[in-house]
Amino acid sequence: MAHDWQPDFEQLVDEHQSMVFSLALRMTGDRGLAEEIAQDVFLELDRYLSKIESAAHACFWLRRVAMSRSADALRRRKVRRMDLWVEVEEHHGAEPEERTSMLSARLEEMLANLSEPQRAALILRYQEDLTLNEIAAMLESPVATVKSNLQRGLKLLRAKADTHLKEFVRGV
Amino acid sequence: MEFEPLDELERELRQAFKRQQAPLSLKRKIMARSSSAAKPQSHAVLWQRLAATLALAAVLSGAAVLHHREEQRKGEAARQQVLTALRITNRALEHMNKQLTAHHRASHE
Repeated sequence: MAHDWQPDFEQLVDEHQSMVFSLALRMTGDRGLAEEIAQDVFLELDRYLSKIESAAHACFWLRRVAMSRSADALRRRKVRRMDLWVEVEEHHGAEPEERTSMLSARLEEMLANLSEPQRAALILRYQEDLTLNEIAAMLESPVATVKSNLQRGLKLLRAKADTHLKEFVRGV
Repeated sequence: MEFEPLDELERELRQAFKRQQAPLSLKRKIMARSSSAAKPQSHAVLWQRLAATLALAAVLSGAAVLHHREEQRKGEAARQQVLTALRITNRALEHMNKQLTAHHRASHE
């Protein structure tokens, strides 16, 4: 199908490298692996570039392939996760900015303990700000399944947060 | 499909899950791998390369044939020169032999 949009590979890398890297990082919890995945995703985009029809199509394609490659990588490789709890306990009296950073680290650690579909749904919802329908299209899953994964993931996070993050979370 | 208003945990999640900046080396690595990866070539380019290869092969074959013929010609000329030299030598020897024979007869008589 003919289309007017002329893709510029380098520009696409500039615009989307943080998105692709962050998706891979939160899915795998491993910076090195996330960087490898991001490289592979962009090289695949380079080969597929003639079929990309618009900037929105490129963004959708990159998100979907990044999630898919991350899931593949997780199945191939068990990622060793750091135990952040001791570190957070040691920094209990830290400054507010440090506490925010530690909260992020704890939330990411809790995210890593969720199942892969729950994690994927939460990342796409809260990192990429996608709607249920968009997440369902991205993951090629029924909307009901995505909704269920989101609700269960949030419930598990709430339970863990209740136990470990009472100082940060109110009204749960 | 609409979501309900965010609660505190969801707000914290959104804050915590902001995109992280990619490593500074990521783009450089991607561009390096992209430029080194073999790009699929169009049929026109492939046909042009095939035609150029065939033309080069024809030129090289022609040059080889000409070179071979030239070598043959030089070899034949050298052979003819050797044969001529042998004929001359043979005639000189025959002449000398006749003179010796005549001298031998004269000395006996």
